[in-house]
Amino acid sequence: MENFAYVNAADVEQVPSLLSDDWTETKMIAGGTDLLGELKEYIETPKKVVNLKSIPGLDKINADASGLAIGALVTLTDIAAHPTIQHHYTVLAEAAGSVASPQIRNVGTLGGNLCQRPRCWYYRNPDIICLKKGGDTCYAVEGLNKYHAIFGGGPVYIVHPSDTAPALIALGATAKIVGPNGERTMPLEDFFVLPDVNPQRENVLEPNEVLTEVHVPQPKMGTKSTYLKVRERGSFDFALSSVAAHFEMSGGTCSKANVVLGGVAPIPWRSVEAEAALNGKRITDAVAKQAGEAAVANAEPMTDNGYKVTLTQNIVSRAAMRLA
Amino acid sequence: MASWGRPENSRLIGKRVQRLSGADKATGKAKYTFDINRPGLLYGHILRSSVAHATITHIDLSAAEALPGVKAAIPLIEPGKRVRFEGQEIAAVAATTDDIARDALRLIQVDYDELDYVVDMEDAKEAGAPQIRDDWEGNQSEPRVDERGDLEAGFAEAAVEVEATYHAPVQTHVCLETHGNVAEWDGDNLTVWASTQAVFGTRQNLARHFELPENQVRVITEHMGGGFGSKFGPGVEGVTVAKLARITGAPVKLMLTRKDEHLVGGNRPSMTQTVRAGAAQDGRFVAYDMSGYGTGGIGSGAGFTGPYVYHVPNYRTEKSAVAINAGSARAMRAPGHPQGAFAMDSLMDELAEKLNIDPLEFRRINGDSDARRDRIRQAEYTLGAQEIGWHRRNRVPGSGTGVKKRGIGVGCGLWGGGGGPGTEARVTIHASGAVEATTGTQDIGTGIRTVIAMIVAEELGLRPQDITVKVGDTAPGLPSRGSGGSQTIGSVAPVIKTAAMAAKRKLFAHIAPMVEADPGNLRAVGGRIRTESDLRMSISWKEATGYLGMETISEGGEWDENLRVGDTAGVQFADVEVDTETGLVKVIKIVAVQDCGLVVNRLTTESQINGAVIMGLGYALLEERIMDDQTGKMINANLEDYKVPGTMEIPEIVSIAYDTDRKITGIGEPPTIPTAGAIANAVYNAIGVRIRELPITPDKVLNALG
Amino acid sequence: MSKEKEKDQTQGTSISRRSFLKGVGTGAVAASVAPSVLIDAETAAEAQMGEEITRAKIKLDINDKAYEVEVESRTTLLSVLRDGFDTSGNRVDLTGAKPICERGECGGCTVQVDGKAVYSCMTLALDAQGKQITTVEGLADGDQLHPVQEAFVQHDALMCGFCTPGFVVAAKSFLDQNPSPSHEEIKEGLAGNICRCGTYPFIFEAVKTASRKMGG
Repeated sequence: MENFAYVNAADVEQVPSLLSDDWTETKMIAGGTDLLGELKEYIETPKKVVNLKSIPGLDKINADASGLAIGALVTLTDIAAHPTIQHHYTVLAEAAGSVASPQIRNVGTLGGNLCQRPRCWYYRNPDIICLKKGGDTCYAVEGLNKYHAIFGGGPVYIVHPSDTAPALIALGATAKIVGPNGERTMPLEDFFVLPDVNPQRENVLEPNEVLTEVHVPQPKMGTKSTYLKVRERGSFDFALSSVAAHFEMSGGTCSKANVVLGGVAPIPWRSVEAEAALNGKRITDAVAKQAGEAAVANAEPMTDNGYKVTLTQNIVSRAAMRLA
Repeated sequence: MASWGRPENSRLIGKRVQRLSGADKATGKAKYTFDINRPGLLYGHILRSSVAHATITHIDLSAAEALPGVKAAIPLIEPGKRVRFEGQEIAAVAATTDDIARDALRLIQVDYDELDYVVDMEDAKEAGAPQIRDDWEGNQSEPRVDERGDLEAGFAEAAVEVEATYHAPVQTHVCLETHGNVAEWDGDNLTVWASTQAVFGTRQNLARHFELPENQVRVITEHMGGGFGSKFGPGVEGVTVAKLARITGAPVKLMLTRKDEHLVGGNRPSMTQTVRAGAAQDGRFVAYDMSGYGTGGIGSGAGFTGPYVYHVPNYRTEKSAVAINAGSARAMRAPGHPQGAFAMDSLMDELAEKLNIDPLEFRRINGDSDARRDRIRQAEYTLGAQEIGWHRRNRVPGSGTGVKKRGIGVGCGLWGGGGGPGTEARVTIHASGAVEATTGTQDIGTGIRTVIAMIVAEELGLRPQDITVKVGDTAPGLPSRGSGGSQTIGSVAPVIKTAAMAAKRKLFAHIAPMVEADPGNLRAVGGRIRTESDLRMSISWKEATGYLGMETISEGGEWDENLRVGDTAGVQFADVEVDTETGLVKVIKIVAVQDCGLVVNRLTTESQINGAVIMGLGYALLEERIMDDQTGKMINANLEDYKVPGTMEIPEIVSIAYDTDRKITGIGEPPTIPTAGAIANAVYNAIGVRIRELPITPDKVLNALG
Repeated sequence: MSKEKEKDQTQGTSISRRSFLKGVGTGAVAASVAPSVLIDAETAAEAQMGEEITRAKIKLDINDKAYEVEVESRTTLLSVLRDGFDTSGNRVDLTGAKPICERGECGGCTVQVDGKAVYSCMTLALDAQGKQITTVEGLADGDQLHPVQEAFVQHDALMCGFCTPGFVVAAKSFLDQNPSPSHEEIKEGLAGNICRCGTYPFIFEAVKTASRKMGG
């Protein structure tokens, strides 16, 4: 990797002033497990890297009656091991615990997991300038797209690699962003953007903005949630497809289903179709099956990833039955 | 005549003995080539072609040379020459730090005149495909045809026929310590610390290249981080690092990067074969007509086995290699066998099913044409079938209920591994009682160091840890073969054994007068020397060697073919669970019944079998070099997308060492052969749909299930 | 060197006392050619906010020993351990942690930082300041191997041994967190490490033995 200037940020408010308004100039580092991979492959060659770990207080989880406030620097290990999260926000604990490997989870942060760049093998190859890197071709279209998107693709067909993002969206989380003009808050669902909006980015962040905190509302009584992730390699792999499911239940009936898919679209993919198939239903095998079918009804597989349609359909059903 | 004696008389041979280097490896003390830090060390890196096929028109090293910290920058290809694959060497640098060396590579300007390339085997066979090798016409080698019996008569006799195409991908070695060397010159003497499977082979190669007598080149491999067949010569990187060291007058370390390793470190060729085969109603395999090819990249070899361990009187095979613009194949753990075995064992199951015969019974009927192997394999079938619970398999494939379906399958293998002459060794006994065993082999992780100590200790009545084993160095001038072909133990053990016997005889002869005993009556047991007839005469080892005074005993040995055996047979059974909703195959259990000859170290033998099975499991389920047509690049040249088995993939492995023979054989390779076939057959038994293409990944399973 | 910046007077101590320049490398060439920013160990350890560091003298606490080393911002902890020199010119020479993938995919470079297993190839040396770093060389007590190391040797949980230091540290860290794990938990706990020789079955046995020895 090329050398860079390393700068410790004193506090959240200082961060935007340390960052450039040009993406190529500056990057932020927390756990570093994604950024250093990019730097080592020369996919990014920033002049300056702003260290966020020097900011006090961003590594805290606060759980109270209003819900959870998780600082961007909280590690995935700490999220997965947090008793309140395990009990009441199960989908999040399971998702955080499924990320990469213990070593990555020990340093990898929530902020980093949400803002990580895609794993697409064309994107990660230093000798290939693809559309996401400012080139003019998404090589996955004509090329090897076994791991690529079946929803929301075009003009770029990456999949979003985050496990915690689908979980948090299923939980109705909001994201707090700090930029040069102060703070803004938005549903995490709106944080992510499709490539037809911006082929080079995966979220709304401006180059000089930082995601500082995620807030998750306290789930209603009787809700259940789970995260189901299928990896090709059981040890340390990204999802071929995953599903975050969060159901509000009343008397054996699913009154409100949140179903968000991972690994299948350029952003965490809310499946309104699956939700509609579940809402107001008692979850039976047949209903779960319908939810799976609904989830993939609008899938647009590429040449090599048709199996993801079947896979996604099946795991949506499986997740639903797990919560029945 | 030397013999390994009877099991009940062996104190160490056949027991579980801890690896001598274990503590050094577990504490980080063990120094691998990658860890050698010489005073004034420079770091080398190689700039490689980023394109699959091009003529190099210009190389400008000036910016790299001007970078502070860079001590040398040299071209490795002349302008006007072609690069024929992504990763081919273009230039090299040496610098004061690893980071600066990498920086320097980015400053080298290379102009490519890009040429059409082909990275797909089928495309490469087409007329008009870009010509890859100058010595071939087209991109396919002249087929090698092998015929026996009367194929037409065989098919006439067949009651059932199977026609199928099987495919296995290119697998890369993924040595965790990448290829590389540290080179240091002292005048015209070159010392190279090499990550190699052959210190003497590497020495010879370097001596030839630099036109030096062999004794001016010393190659050292104290510990080595995995080779699997890919590390025999110094390679371009080895010659390059020696050049850089000579130019700079400083020691230089040049280790390949992980990406380099995938691109140029070697690979197992792929295999695509189409077969038509027939069996008679009574279960005899009567006809086999197979035509296939594989790619070894720009390399010329891509052979595989068939009809392999099964006897078929009438066959015709036609095999060739297809060149593509990709890194060259190298020997990889049982070259040619795993791919051939996978196809053959799949075919045997397909034939058996058509005949409505149990696949194991079908194998028993059509045994190995080698009588010894057949006898052993038949016994192995029985042992393995019992251990896996063969009766539990689905009579009707895919008939299990539920989402997760279990299945059981079998696969077979054979291997040589008997070793050969050419090793020199010395066993030295010092007056202090210290004992050294020295030879020019190298311990590449197999445990030969420990085996040598065990053999000497057994002979001298000592403990393995009492023996200092000196291997992995050419300086003592005791050559041995490269560690390949599972030949190491069969080549080395007999020489060590006879050297230890000779040293002991000499010691006995020396001390016999002192203790007033007949030398033939002396025994070395439990760290003492005593007479067989008079148990009161017993002196400690140190007392005994003390009689040597100023003398040292140092004896060589002879290779004795009666101490080793080759031609081993192996059988494996797999029990798998297939999740029919996700397509994931989970291997529950592997039973490996392996003809091991005489087991020397039961502990490290089990390690070898476990490791071979796991590499076979990776081949079956995960591993594949993926070449991208659009860019000509290997698109998964890392450890994220090139997936080797990790902890979660590991099944229960029951290794049964079938060790009825009192002769030594190598088992590094044979147990990796049957695994993929056994797993593929188990997957079929589970789901009732045949997957004829490795690796068996979820996409293939789900697509097959429809 | 590019971009000299106005010093930020709002950030505490006066800069003039310290022996460094400010600046930003514009990549490989600039960083190496130009006089780099050099920050001394005390200064770097104070983690001055907002100041740009391209090169610094830092103190690292490795295996309970203090090392003063000079690093670039991009220098990884793994690189310091294996190839670094202290400021007296002595090699750190802790080559136990191995560079295998150098992308956080294999576990060969695993060390403990403040008691947690991390990939040292994906950790900047600057980020390891003020933390307790334990490498595989720091586990044994003199000649007395750590129970995990003993168990690895006993069970032959190593072949070529190149992945072994990473596995030993990962296993030790795992047992620190989960002293009496199940077989499945061991697999999950070590899923961040790769062994190509295939020693896994014996690694699992070794971890079980070590767990018992450590009273788990």
